Amino acid sequence: MLNGFKSPGRIALIGGESEIGLSIVAHLAEDNAREVILVGRTGEFGMDITEKGARERVVHDLFGNGDLDLAIVAVGLLGNDATKSPADNLLAAMDVNYLSTVHFIELLSERMKEQAHGTILVISSFAQVRPRDDNFGYGSTKAGLDFYARGLASKLKGSGVTIKILRPGFVKSKMTAGMALAPFAITAQECGKYGVQALRSKGLVTWAPHILKYVAVIFKALPSRIFSRISHR
Amino acid sequence: MTSGWGNNFQSLSSRKPADTVAQVQEVVAQTGSMRGLLAAGLHRSYGDSALNSGGTLVALTGLNQIEIDRPSRIAILGAGATIRDLEVAALAQSLFPPVVPGTGYVTIGGAVAADIHGKSHHRTGAFSQCLRRIKLLLSSGAIADYSPTDIEFWATVGGLGLTGIILEVEMELREVSSNSVTVLEKRVKNLDEMIALLDQSDSDFEHTVAWIDLSGDYRGRGVVSLGNYGDSSPHASSQMKGRAPSTRGLSLPTLGGMNFITPLTVRAFNEFWYRKPLKDGAASIVKYMHPLDGVNNWNNVYGRSGFLQYQFVIDLGKEEIFAKLFAGLRALKAASFLGVLKKFGEQSNSPLSFPRRGWTLTLDYSVTVPGLEKFLREFDEELAAAGGRIYLIKDSRLDPGLISAMYPRINEWRSTRNLMDPKGLWQSDQARRLQLC
Repeated sequence: MLNGFKSPGRIALIGGESEIGLSIVAHLAEDNAREVILVGRTGEFGMDITEKGARERVVHDLFGNGDLDLAIVAVGLLGNDATKSPADNLLAAMDVNYLSTVHFIELLSERMKEQAHGTILVISSFAQVRPRDDNFGYGSTKAGLDFYARGLASKLKGSGVTIKILRPGFVKSKMTAGMALAPFAITAQECGKYGVQALRSKGLVTWAPHILKYVAVIFKALPSRIFSRISHR
Repeated sequence: MTSGWGNNFQSLSSRKPADTVAQVQEVVAQTGSMRGLLAAGLHRSYGDSALNSGGTLVALTGLNQIEIDRPSRIAILGAGATIRDLEVAALAQSLFPPVVPGTGYVTIGGAVAADIHGKSHHRTGAFSQCLRRIKLLLSSGAIADYSPTDIEFWATVGGLGLTGIILEVEMELREVSSNSVTVLEKRVKNLDEMIALLDQSDSDFEHTVAWIDLSGDYRGRGVVSLGNYGDSSPHASSQMKGRAPSTRGLSLPTLGGMNFITPLTVRAFNEFWYRKPLKDGAASIVKYMHPLDGVNNWNNVYGRSGFLQYQFVIDLGKEEIFAKLFAGLRALKAASFLGVLKKFGEQSNSPLSFPRRGWTLTLDYSVTVPGLEKFLREFDEELAAAGGRIYLIKDSRLDPGLISAMYPRINEWRSTRNLMDPKGLWQSDQARRLQLC
């Protein structure tokens, strides 16, 4: 249960190896001791998220020992594995980032509705704003996830369950190691702070950093000829 | 959405009113154990003790019969009757409940479930000490009567509504010769003076309590209030015996959800309160017992985010813990305008009842005070190590890991509870948060 300071008592981090996710959890733990369940590839709650049966089992187990107050869904693949073909990379990213994650969130939200409280923090991405030549495949999976999360947030109004969306830009982490830095790049630790802000904010969407909200407006408004030149940069 | 008195929780549950025992039984029969059921009264508990997210609340305020047998001084009370209604009915027969809390707006069921205490604790003990019998509806649907010789009685007293639905209690009232109290107030400059005065007054006064100023220099100046039941001359006011005391207090609107409690406003208020003329003479018994009831919805001053009340008890001789607490609160600039200090008497036989011999301090804080959550968590650890404990009916943020240190008989309570409710029907948000069951 949340306590009187609205601090969650039981938290699950889906994507237990995610640096952004771990950073959010670490920031939350500063004020209060909490039970954190890491759902990664291994461990007690280990799973291959692309297996439907594994998703169902893990969601069942997450609620087995008390209410779940917060689920941070920080699962993601950039789809840039050099050993795989572009088509296979795209397929893997679609499977992990969209299909499996959306199904997992749907299962989570069903259980949270039964307890009439709970928050799901969905880690989306700035990449879903507008297709760019270098990451539109990944961006399309995050766009799908973001779209679904916004729809679910609306559907869950009045149920006691809350959806929050965090849209980070370029985050310096293991996932992006070796890639050229984009403007407004932040560290995973900084991104964690924005994650906490997302949980405390009244709005549905939080950008990390906040300025990306305005960059996104400009990105969307740019004529395609100019945008294409920027995205070829 | 339902909130506790502190407004710091918002909980969604299904609410079913029940005005008769048969209706309560019907709700129990219809409710499953998944998110369970909890009896609700006036929601004056500060935190999440009377909330049940995703489950059912059965509202018992309609179960409010009051029958008093004058010769034996025994009252038979429905769980939904309020302390205030009981006082009015009792005063009409020159009787009064020996234990009443700071507000009259609590139900009898809630008073039992919290084993409430009042300014008389050093003499009378907690609410349970006046009870002769509890009629309880069990999760099986059966109705049982328990007396102080039964372990189920003591599991229900202070049991936060988690052993069954309290339907009715039998309670012994005390004689009073008037509807007044003789009050003597004294100003003290600091905590040491306050402790000394409370210490020496307990033998002469039936009611003792101190308002403590925890703002400014946090030295603990304040006003000690001492009272005895009045003599035969009735208090000259509209509150004559048998007439309902006025319930038209000053009403506080929601004030746009803003929090008006800041270090500055608290300091100004406390300065005024410290300097106000001291009482010395007769006062209305109801007003004296329930100073909080003068302003309806006073909880709104803390705004939309809400507040918490922090009450703990610490053994006599361990007063040094106050200095640590005050220093920490001062560093946080956390100012409280409802600080109350009281010396408790003996504890009851209940595993979860809060009051026990020692000093109890009560403080109110907005949940928006930066760093307060972390500070109170750390202070709880020191408190538990020093053998102290916090009052569960006011709690909204205790670490579940500290429960067994603060309430060493919790496992005894759990086993009694499990026998009384094998299917786990009685549930609350607090029970889930603190893993009580």
